[in-house]
Amino acid sequence: MKSDLTDYVMRVAGAAIRALVYTMLAIPAILVIVSSFTSSDTMEFPPTGFSLRWYRTALESDRFMGALWTSTYVAVLVAVIALVVGFAGAFAINRFSFRGKAVLLGLAFSPLIVPAVVLGIGLLQLFVWLNLARTVYPLLIGHLVLAIPYVVRTVLASLALHNVQLEEAAMNLRATPLRVIRRVTLPLILPGLLSAAIFAFVTSFGNVTVSSFLTYGGHATLPVRIFAYMDNSYDPLLAAVSSIMIVVTLVIIVIIERLIGAERLA
Amino acid sequence: MVLVLVGFLVVPLFGLLRSSFLPGNRLLEGTGFSLKQYLIFFSDSYYSSMLLETVVDGLVVTLICLAIGFPTGYSLARLPPFARRWRMLIVILPLTLSLVVVVFGWMIVLGRNGLLNAFLVNVGILSTPKTFLFSRPAVVVVLVQQFLPFMILSIMSVVAQIDPVLEQAAANLRSNRFTTFRKVIIPLALPGIIVGFNLVFVLSISAFVTPRIIGGSRVAMIGSLIYERMMAELNWPSGAAMAVVLFICGLGFTAALNALATSQFIVGRRRREV
Repeated sequence: MKSDLTDYVMRVAGAAIRALVYTMLAIPAILVIVSSFTSSDTMEFPPTGFSLRWYRTALESDRFMGALWTSTYVAVLVAVIALVVGFAGAFAINRFSFRGKAVLLGLAFSPLIVPAVVLGIGLLQLFVWLNLARTVYPLLIGHLVLAIPYVVRTVLASLALHNVQLEEAAMNLRATPLRVIRRVTLPLILPGLLSAAIFAFVTSFGNVTVSSFLTYGGHATLPVRIFAYMDNSYDPLLAAVSSIMIVVTLVIIVIIERLIGAERLA
Repeated sequence: MVLVLVGFLVVPLFGLLRSSFLPGNRLLEGTGFSLKQYLIFFSDSYYSSMLLETVVDGLVVTLICLAIGFPTGYSLARLPPFARRWRMLIVILPLTLSLVVVVFGWMIVLGRNGLLNAFLVNVGILSTPKTFLFSRPAVVVVLVQQFLPFMILSIMSVVAQIDPVLEQAAANLRSNRFTTFRKVIIPLALPGIIVGFNLVFVLSISAFVTPRIIGGSRVAMIGSLIYERMMAELNWPSGAAMAVVLFICGLGFTAALNALATSQFIVGRRRREV
């Protein structure tokens, strides 16, 4: 009888914890969207009335829309560069055996365990020393470093599932190595590559922890602007701007999900 | 890739190390070598207590994430694909969504005119709204929510590789769920648990957006202090020294976890051989 009781307790506790976890994970985003439609001047819950006035204010604000533009083009550039760099690295790790391969793999994933503050300050100093602190390069490079682990992981996963025999067949048909990569390898792992690029985009688009050190004098991204604004005010304009970010992110996740399936997102 | 990572990850780290030994208090001024920043850090109890609090908070966040993330990650790995789909979206969203947006969402939950107050006052538990923001528990809750997906996904990916047949075998041998969990699942899922533990801890101790916005001036964590030093006071050597200490804490934790994992693995193997 005792064993039945522990089974029961574990089942109930598990269900309760899962309900709590999913609610907790979803609630901030839902509340931001709900409160962005308020018609009142202040943030309150439950929101009063329904209006799009805060969206109008957000769209008219140069401060936020300029930052949205910066965020977008930085993220697009990061996605492209991270994909090229990360693909080269992942391809080498997957196909060839060479000395220092384990070190390379470790290096590729190391940005995950370097605290954002440390990376941010280190890069800021480097670029001040290079006299490039006021350009957009610090942001690009910082986001690139952050995006590499995600790209390498996604590309490695799709290379691992990919059938090498198809390449061998192409080579038997006298295709040059470059042609094999271009006509056989790349098309076959295209979904993996696309989702890697999208991952890089999202990483860059949402990042605030490293970016806020790298926007020294200009070129602020949207999350950095939101962070600065949030430091001293709290109003529905912020909810509207944040909702725009949520929608962009959600659309992108759904696209990845369609491309490679949710299981492989991890 | 090597060039990018060495040039923009390894080089900045050494630059940081170097400037933490600068004697001045200003922007990269001067040359020379001094332990001043470290002496200040380790002699003033203000800093050491803050470091300790940050580490304790980090551990609390990590343990809560493990406790609630394990059942979730486990169930996700065992669910049929169609049921897993929308749940995965919920798990992935906070991970990809900007931190500032998530923090803002929590301000709506915890604020004076927020959801929690509206609920508690309506139910009658509270007679007047109370401020939940600007307290350490609030910071811990928000950090847990932010980093939980990392734990869930690390655990999910290892559990997905455990053959359910092993659990059925244990059940056939009349072990109940708890025994199966303790003797079969935990040892096999250990690598995932360690990865998740490591990620969440490093992320929590270096957090600065959440402590600054949710904790306000009352809850100081080392990350928010570094941010202040660097960006407001422009005292770079001091910020750099603290960042080095923080980084070493993170690395020490990673190393300790790895050592623990290896020894566990060896003990486990010996036991099986006997």
